[in-house]
Amino acid sequence: MATRIDTLEPVPAPERPPERRLSPREWARENLVGTPFDTVLTIVFALVVAWLVYRLGKFVLVDARWEIIERNITNLMVSRFPRDELWRVWAALLVLAPSLGFGAGSAAAARRREVAEGRAAAPPERASALRRAGPGLLLAAVLLWFAQSLQATFLTLVVGILGAGGYLLGRRLSLAGTRAALVVLAGIVVAYGLVTAFGGVGWEDWGGFMLTVFLAVGGILLAFPFGVLLALGRRSSLPAVRAVCVAYIELFRGVPLIAVLFMGAFMIGFLLPEGVDRPSLVTRALIALVLFTAAYVAEIVRGGLQGVPAGQVEAAQALGLSPVRITTRIVLPQALRNVIPGLVGQFISLFKDTSLVAIIGLTELLNVSRNITAQPDFLAQGLIVETLVFAAFVYWTGAYWMSRESQRLERRLGLGER
Amino acid sequence: MSAENGQSMIRLEGVSKWFGDFQALKGVDLGVERREVVVVCGPSGSGKSTMIRCINRLEKHDRGRIVVDGIELSDDLRNIQEVRREVGMVFQQFNLFPHLTVLENVTLAPRQVRRWNKAKAKEKAMEHLHRVRIPEQAHKYPLQLSGGQQQRVAIARALAMEPKIMLFDEPTSALDPEMIKEVLDVIAELAESGMTMIVVTHEMGFARAVANRMVFMADGEIVEVGTPEHFFENPQEERTKQFLAQIL
Amino acid sequence: MLRLVGQAVFLAAVAALLLFLLDNVVYNLRRLGIPTGFDYLDQSAGFAIPESDFRSSQSLLDALLVGVENTAKVSLLGIALATVLGVAVGVARLSTNWLVRRAAAAYVEAFRNVPVLIIIIFLWLGVFLRLPPIGRAVEILDVVVLSNRGLVVAWFDKTGSGAAFGVVALVGLLLAAAVWVWRTRRFDRTGQPHRRVLWACGVLLAVLAAGFFATGRPWTVATPERGALATTGGFRLSPEYAALLLGLTLYTASHIAEIVRGSILGVPRGQSEAANAVGLSGIQRLRHVVLPQAFRISIPPVANQYLNLVKNSSLGVAVSYYEVTKITQVSISQRAPAVQAILLLMGIYLVFSLSIAFVTNLVNRRLALRER
Repeated sequence: MATRIDTLEPVPAPERPPERRLSPREWARENLVGTPFDTVLTIVFALVVAWLVYRLGKFVLVDARWEIIERNITNLMVSRFPRDELWRVWAALLVLAPSLGFGAGSAAAARRREVAEGRAAAPPERASALRRAGPGLLLAAVLLWFAQSLQATFLTLVVGILGAGGYLLGRRLSLAGTRAALVVLAGIVVAYGLVTAFGGVGWEDWGGFMLTVFLAVGGILLAFPFGVLLALGRRSSLPAVRAVCVAYIELFRGVPLIAVLFMGAFMIGFLLPEGVDRPSLVTRALIALVLFTAAYVAEIVRGGLQGVPAGQVEAAQALGLSPVRITTRIVLPQALRNVIPGLVGQFISLFKDTSLVAIIGLTELLNVSRNITAQPDFLAQGLIVETLVFAAFVYWTGAYWMSRESQRLERRLGLGER
Repeated sequence: MSAENGQSMIRLEGVSKWFGDFQALKGVDLGVERREVVVVCGPSGSGKSTMIRCINRLEKHDRGRIVVDGIELSDDLRNIQEVRREVGMVFQQFNLFPHLTVLENVTLAPRQVRRWNKAKAKEKAMEHLHRVRIPEQAHKYPLQLSGGQQQRVAIARALAMEPKIMLFDEPTSALDPEMIKEVLDVIAELAESGMTMIVVTHEMGFARAVANRMVFMADGEIVEVGTPEHFFENPQEERTKQFLAQIL
Repeated sequence: MLRLVGQAVFLAAVAALLLFLLDNVVYNLRRLGIPTGFDYLDQSAGFAIPESDFRSSQSLLDALLVGVENTAKVSLLGIALATVLGVAVGVARLSTNWLVRRAAAAYVEAFRNVPVLIIIIFLWLGVFLRLPPIGRAVEILDVVVLSNRGLVVAWFDKTGSGAAFGVVALVGLLLAAAVWVWRTRRFDRTGQPHRRVLWACGVLLAVLAAGFFATGRPWTVATPERGALATTGGFRLSPEYAALLLGLTLYTASHIAEIVRGSILGVPRGQSEAANAVGLSGIQRLRHVVLPQAFRISIPPVANQYLNLVKNSSLGVAVSYYEVTKITQVSISQRAPAVQAILLLMGIYLVFSLSIAFVTNLVNRRLALRER
């Protein structure tokens, strides 16, 4: 007879959870060599990974002739930008860093407020600031290593400090969203002015990584309002408006970016009436990027609009708000908050896609990487591997950094898990 | 493999379970006899669901022993499979396979696990669908049915493996009020037929009518055990009284 | 009423804008003496296309058709390879083996965050064109020859009549189908495991092997022979094609892997629990419960990746692979009217995109969960 328990023993005191810390040996058994198949997999993968790491490490540290990057670091960053006007770029960075930092700090403060007021969930995990800034710091360190210039190092440090200062200030002041956005926008405008105004350098003479960033940022900023209008149009109750917006969105989503860039490069001139000068190639590329990106932004925003519960609109109607007010005051604010991760994703795509303007002849990062291998000192030495690896690294750190931050944001907003 | 005569069908001894630092079960002891119907109640978060989910190893217990029909649950996968074949489970959210028809839902496991041929599996499945009173829905898909119908299909699916024990994890909590009765009636019939069962539920009228024994849990412990009369008329523990006062 | 007027005004504005642009185009083309219609397509191309029989005296229209064919060639193979690699990596991301899991994650993060154009150009300039010249080509077991002239793989070479073997192959297929049905019926009758895939493949292979020798070996494997200037025999991939294909595959696979992983994780946990509760084994749970549902979740995003791959095949233009975009670019540089050529190019891609979208919708509708 088994012991049957009908009467209850006194409540046992809460025990500690059993220790789940595994010894390295147990860990290996559970994670690497559980079954014979697992063991084989582990061995095969270990060999392949070791070989790849060895080859990559040997290339980066031993074989690669990085001199071409060292000598051309300025070229890669700004290309044809006049050298005696470079101070303008640094000045612009010195303005941009604190204002962007201020924006990030304000956003962090806003999130804190929401958590404190119980309007948002507390962050699931806290990553250290160093870890979060990791890819950016790595990129800066590598660039400075190649630059080997005290002046650049000093200026970069100042930019970093100003950025961090802006962040702390933004968190302290904790301005409302629109005001913080105004500060960021003002920073961008002043920075742009510093580069271009008073005998400065217009964007048709920008190049290198600077042009890459400009096309990506300018592209998304200009595509955003256009995309929102298209999304609203696609959800309009007016069939004619809807049809036109659908046609536009499907057309641009159905063709490759390079076709749109060809359109910008070769066709825009024909679309203008006689007497109007054709805009510069950079401008035309930017127009193409905006036309293309707007269609994708529209679809992202449409997703956000669909995510706003119908009850919200009905409640607003019950309160007697006008349709325009309902859209601008009730629907859009909720929808746009939900589309931020999607927009960041689109920005990352655009950042990578700006490399395509190399095909129509703009000297952005990728094109410079190719061109410098044709310099007399480096001609026909197969240095394209070094320059492309460098360019790929720059793109990778940027895209990886942003996608990691975007995932954090997504978790914070509680999206993406359902 | 079957239990000796007189031995408990299910035996839990000092079962503890942690989720991270939170202790969901604090040394639970419970025995369930053959043909016995045990109804478990208690406030949410009291560990009721966790306890019955440990019985067929949907959750792994950290301390203590669980023996089901003479088989002890350990890390041995064969033991786990053996136990799962003997234990049917019905979930709060039905968890029917939405890509299979009702009939396919019911015949999948008997065909794959018991290796029955198609005719036998279908015949048995239709028997069980008759038993839960929806044979006419056999060729529909789960999402085309009402919640009550889905839950009855889920019961048929569990019965199709011809288990010796049935576990019900709040089977009516996700149902609209008018559908609760049709599901409870099926469960009550099953209890009358002599199935060994553990039912987690808040339906106290049902518990009173069907249970051989009531178990009240709170904070990961079994606070009180007794016959329904004893439990409802004359509860001993303060926490039980409080709970009953709130729910009745 | 107001709605109607509003829409009419909106449409009129859009139409006016389009007409204004069209008018400008026509005016500008006339002013510059450029033809306005699509007659230019009948003119001789004036350029040759590598890796094809196309002669420069053939028309531009023919050139575009070759381009469409080349786009299809790289896209279809790319889709197949990216799917295989992507599914493998996506499943590896969920492996219980730590090393496999981490390696798959590293692969995904490495390729997802780099422009696909850089991957393609790197493979072209940095890998395939830097292979040793033909005189010192790398040979792997006589099966693959790698040189800067391209990648040559051993391939089947027809020696006899294929007709007899074709009949044998057909018979083999029919037999395999029959065995499949037999195993399925037996499973239904007895409940014994059917293993129909194993049986059918076994029968097919056996018939093919027997037929191969019986019909007097109608195929031989042609190993690539290295000559002084080129390789003969075997199947040759030009460096351009190889770079584009591999680049698109690696890049798209990293995206598909994430979709596969997300789809498997996207099947509700209750489904796995229910499968466990009714006693299905791990593999049965995957085969009958998790994968069918994951597959359905993954169709729209994977189709989107296929679409992206087709569109990204336009990057052949950067490595001189003559698909439609490259042909368009070359023809524009050969004085074809840019406006028409680009509109035509966009039209061709739209047809590609819309047909993929159409097929996806059909599949999606067929597989949609039936609800009330």
